Amino acid sequence: MPSSCDEKIPRIEHHQNNSDVSITICGYWSLNSRERLCLLRRWESLVLQWKDVLRFEIKCDESLVWDSSLVVFLRNANRDLSVNGGQVVFLDLPAGLNKLLNLADEGQKRNKEQKQDPPSDGFLSMEALLKPLDFLGALVISFLNLVRGRSVMRWRDFFASARNCSASALPIVTLISFLTGVTMAFVGSVQLEKFNATIYVADLVSLAMVREMGALMVAIIMAGRTGAAFAAELGNMNLNEEIDSLETFGICSVSFLVLPRTLALFVMTPLLTIYADIVGILGGLLVGTLVMGFSALHYLEQTQSALTDMWEVYSGVSKSLFFGLIIGFVGCYKGVFSGRDSASLGKSVTSAVVISVTLIIIADAFFETAFSLLELR
Amino acid sequence: MNVSGRDDIVIRVESLDLAYGNHLVLKNISFEVRRGDCLVVMGGSGCGKSTLLKSMVGLLAPLRGKIIIDRDELWLNGDKKRKETLKKLGVLFQNGALWSSMTVFENVAMPLEIFTDLGVKEVENLVDYKLALVGLAGAGNFYPSELSGGMRKRAGLARAMAMDPEILFLDEPSAGLDPITSKRLDDLINELKESLGISFVVVTHELASIFDIADDSIFLDSESKEILAHGNPKDLLKENNLTKVRSFLERKTVNNS
Repeated sequence: MPSSCDEKIPRIEHHQNNSDVSITICGYWSLNSRERLCLLRRWESLVLQWKDVLRFEIKCDESLVWDSSLVVFLRNANRDLSVNGGQVVFLDLPAGLNKLLNLADEGQKRNKEQKQDPPSDGFLSMEALLKPLDFLGALVISFLNLVRGRSVMRWRDFFASARNCSASALPIVTLISFLTGVTMAFVGSVQLEKFNATIYVADLVSLAMVREMGALMVAIIMAGRTGAAFAAELGNMNLNEEIDSLETFGICSVSFLVLPRTLALFVMTPLLTIYADIVGILGGLLVGTLVMGFSALHYLEQTQSALTDMWEVYSGVSKSLFFGLIIGFVGCYKGVFSGRDSASLGKSVTSAVVISVTLIIIADAFFETAFSLLELR
Repeated sequence: MNVSGRDDIVIRVESLDLAYGNHLVLKNISFEVRRGDCLVVMGGSGCGKSTLLKSMVGLLAPLRGKIIIDRDELWLNGDKKRKETLKKLGVLFQNGALWSSMTVFENVAMPLEIFTDLGVKEVENLVDYKLALVGLAGAGNFYPSELSGGMRKRAGLARAMAMDPEILFLDEPSAGLDPITSKRLDDLINELKESLGISFVVVTHELASIFDIADDSIFLDSESKEILAHGNPKDLLKENNLTKVRSFLERKTVNNS
């Protein structure tokens, strides 16, 4: 094999003598060298040729220039040549190269000794199913302790959470509810105009808002806004060991952190729903008066006649109580049990919103089916 | 320091095995802490020091074995009894773990407000005293995010001492602190130990701190998952012949020279 170590390319020279092979590494070994890739392909075919060789001597040329690419090559070469029982001996390696090889071997050995089984995701495992139930049980017990006057919950935390999830949410709830009312009025008017019954737009908007849309829109806004905030806040507390420090004081974290937040949502979601119902009806009123030409009084009288049965209002508000519970529970659960790194925190916040919205839709369908079966509609 | 009429041993750990799921972290750990002593838990990174501390402060149930704190077995009794036992302890977490939504004053005051019937003025006086003790007088109105790392740790220590605990657990109190702040914290630990008779369990691998504060120490080994050496670190430096222990402790002498 011709050898020219002056050229800036990596080279391997080899001589076979019966069952021994002597390999000399020379040339210019660089991670940026394109010729290195060709050499590695040739090396693979050489390894196959040498499967019956018993002893390999690897040495380096004095003029060798090298970087990490040679360290990696020698580590792999050692592994490849030893696979079939061959003995690999390194001779006259540069001191730095030798040290790096030993350091990498020691590190790998240490890693093997300390190798841990990766934690299982726990998806659909028994623990994943039981943990939320356990958490729900702890929340119920905390609530009972509050009723009995034995809770460590601070009312100022409750009021702070209540303010955050109600008054602070009014602008977005107003905007979404108003536009929902406007949209429903426009969509309804197109169909009702065919039957010359456009005044029933008032019935359509009011009934849809109080039965369904008010509660649903508020719940979805709360899930995206407040549920995500709870998950992020508690997840960050978990990350900073703040929840652990509560537990070491003997302070129940569920009573102290979860109960005030969930209770605040339980109380405030129905109030926001009533507010959203009114704003949605006002949106319909705007379309009814400005676009369809009804007088405000006529429109409101029609709305009143549609809502004579107060159960229509109560059913929507009662659903929103459960929606508030779902959002508070899921947001806090995902926060308290988020992992201890920022990536897990992001996942927890996302899954808190996704799970809340999914459960809200499922619960809504369940309520509507139950109301229908019980002939409450 | 022996308080007359009381048990001299304040913590007894017997044949303790600790695991995360199926992964065994520590096995067959046994040691005692005497009242008013400072026990340092040392060892390389990942050897289970913080895991041991977690179990001793009621955050991780052991796989096997006992942790007896002042005659109460921590993990044998139910949740309610354990919470009572935990009131005898104070814990300083690695980064202080101050409750971020509260000021430093509120952080220290909260355990007092929850667990005692003290009036507002009394709580205020106590909090001022605890903050002064750790050199944070006047910092009560700051939020944790407005404090430096050293101040956060000292505030965490003030909070850990809020309920006058008999035992203080400190997780790497000197980590990330400059040498002067670290030395001040060590001096504070020694003063609290001597003047109040508080027992300390300190997890650290800061050699300067170890030699400064420890009356007793255990050296955990990540390979065997057991205690490799037990004794006063100065004695271990003189007498222990195990390579791992010597190379760990001798780094100090190398640095000092």
